[in-house]
Amino acid sequence: MTTVAAAAPSVRAVRAFIGKRSRRGFLEWYGIGFALVIAAIYLSDVLEKPLSRLSGAGSVGSAAGQAGAQAATQAVTGAGLVIGAAAGLLLLAQALGPLALSPADASWLLLSPLDRRAVLRRSAAAAAAVPAAAGALLGVLALAMAGPYLRPAGGSLPASWLLLSAVAGAGLCAAAVAAEVLAQPERGSLARGCCAILALIALAGAVAGQASPTVSHAITTGFGGLSTSTFGLAAVVALVLAVAAWIGAWRLLPHFPAGVLRTDSARAGRALMAAAFLNVQLLTWLAEDDHWRSRLLPSRPWPKLPPALALAWADWRRLSRRPGTLAVLAVSTVVPALAGAAITGRQHGLVVAAVLLAGGLAAGTQGTTASKRDLNDPALRRMLGVDAEPALAARAVLPALLSMAWLGLSFTVLAADGELPGWWWPLLGLVAGPALAAAALRVARTAPVNPADRGFDTPMGTVYPWMLTRLISVIFAVIAAYPALSAVRHGQLTGRTFAEQVLFSAVILVGYVKISSSMSASLEAPEAP
Amino acid sequence: MGDPVFVTNSPRVTPRWSRYLLAVTEWVVAVRGLRMAYGSVVVLQDIDLAVGAGEIVAVTGVNGVGKSTLLSCLAGFRRAAAGTVTVLGGPPRDNSAFWRQVAHVADQPTWYPGLSVRELLELVRMTHEPVTGWCLPADELIEVFGLTERADASPLAMSSGQRQRLSLAAALARPSRLLLLDEPEQSLDAGFRRELARLLRTEYAANGGTVIMATHDHEFAVSAQARVIQLSDGRIIPETADQS
Repeated sequence: MTTVAAAAPSVRAVRAFIGKRSRRGFLEWYGIGFALVIAAIYLSDVLEKPLSRLSGAGSVGSAAGQAGAQAATQAVTGAGLVIGAAAGLLLLAQALGPLALSPADASWLLLSPLDRRAVLRRSAAAAAAVPAAAGALLGVLALAMAGPYLRPAGGSLPASWLLLSAVAGAGLCAAAVAAEVLAQPERGSLARGCCAILALIALAGAVAGQASPTVSHAITTGFGGLSTSTFGLAAVVALVLAVAAWIGAWRLLPHFPAGVLRTDSARAGRALMAAAFLNVQLLTWLAEDDHWRSRLLPSRPWPKLPPALALAWADWRRLSRRPGTLAVLAVSTVVPALAGAAITGRQHGLVVAAVLLAGGLAAGTQGTTASKRDLNDPALRRMLGVDAEPALAARAVLPALLSMAWLGLSFTVLAADGELPGWWWPLLGLVAGPALAAAALRVARTAPVNPADRGFDTPMGTVYPWMLTRLISVIFAVIAAYPALSAVRHGQLTGRTFAEQVLFSAVILVGYVKISSSMSASLEAPEAP
Repeated sequence: MGDPVFVTNSPRVTPRWSRYLLAVTEWVVAVRGLRMAYGSVVVLQDIDLAVGAGEIVAVTGVNGVGKSTLLSCLAGFRRAAAGTVTVLGGPPRDNSAFWRQVAHVADQPTWYPGLSVRELLELVRMTHEPVTGWCLPADELIEVFGLTERADASPLAMSSGQRQRLSLAAALARPSRLLLLDEPEQSLDAGFRRELARLLRTEYAANGGTVIMATHDHEFAVSAQARVIQLSDGRIIPETADQS
């Protein structure tokens, strides 16, 4: 029996106890700093072009005169994309909590007599600060998109407009996340629905602006009517909303339900880890678990298909059960064209190529969830009497079709704009699909992260084996789709490029299936007595 | 469905007497007509349960039958669709006073990378200060739970069984009146399961603590001299004369 009388502990003292023992070493800080610098360099490279429109906003006459139909389209599409990006970030915040503790804090500090609000203070600060920072950047970007069509009284864009846009963006995003925090204990789908609708409206607006000069003209005329007082009003309203919403959230913190926090913190921790480690299975499991926990999963008879295809049927079935995923993929095929129009004003170039690569890979991974099963537990495959190679070949069909469909549609949208003329471009998308499907399969089948693996120190910080394997997957995707990506980058498609991509796709997909399946089969082979 | 069955320490007590006892005794846990569902999926229904101080109750049943959900309801993590749940004289309140008296050990926790086994136990004790009630000091827990050689190691460097021992040790490093354990036997060797059962019976429960655990290990439940409650299709199977 132990009885010790002492003052009730403060969360500050507890955090100091933990922090004293968990200090990062110099190398860790160096690695983080290096990563931040590299990220900032790449981000600034991407944002340079849109932000340059801020300085290009000239006088009333020159702006109206210089800005042609293309610039108007760019302004409207860009503004639509910025709003869509904000809605996407809010959806992401909602999926991750939005109020969540670190998994360790959720395990050891939450279910204790510690003051709940004090435990949650850091998380709440992060939930306010991160959206505010992102919102400020998006606010400035939105201003930049409208840049040539703004008509300030003095001729040049005043700094106050920049500041007020940043404040308005920060306030609106912070207010939206606070509203999500307030709705979090009820687990309602209203916030998610609102964000999804906002994203759809923004995308529809961007597409309309891109497709119709009349719409672009009408909207850019509206930009011309903006004044300092408009920006000031927007900033004040956003600030008031943010402050009111966060006061409500602050009041909620002492009574924030532990059950919700435990679940959301664990899910957010797993999701961040899975995203960092490119763990497609875990991400899918998180989404599926959340969805099916409150629903009945109907059983279906085993399909009357050849054994290899029957094995791969699980992924087809999973996709057909969740048609929302296919709908999101279909809608997202307009993103490469919109990104090109908004960021560079062209339907080709590095930005469009990068978005096509990411989208094609993401589409392919939607059909790879069960592909790792044969590696981890080949019992089902053996029971059906299927060898490793036909099993992997059958599993490659769905990701190949998904990547082909996504790239084909994306290229169709790009070609419809007229800058990449002819129907060869959509065909290029179709033939590049299998190449990206091979990369998606590699991403999905990469070995899990082994915490015992020791990294090696480099000038870029500590590099772990899992980082290399994930990086190789991305490089593999770039090589696999290189002819198509190169054509998009330069905006030129020749018969030779097309033939090269056909060859790359065939060789890489077939080669991957053969090599990967033979490697997994050799791992399964019983050892000689 | 007939009258609700209130099971107590004595299997010979009839439901009528149980209801009488419920009225006059201060139960640590009293559940009446509990119904719990995830959306349209009903997990628990018509659950009646009363558990007194110093009692150990083992909830058994096949996977997915609702054992963990029942513990979640007792901890206040999930709201009942119908029925009442009373823990320590009131509904689970999810506040400082509640968590000072209730300890909950469920899934494998996440560990602080910088804290050793000893420091983690000190942290748990620190978060529950002022410590007034039965609990074991960190050094004794380390010895009892067979972690002496790993006392200064990070939990991240330990085996899953050693981590499970540490999770359980952490629950006894602070005072509590009710201990909710979700499959405590996971990853533990047979010898330590018996030791854990002895510890719960002769130390924790003997000092007035109540244990409700979900378990698949009948032998472990018997070693702890636990009252076994079996769940099937989301309901408690009424105790029969043969079972008692």
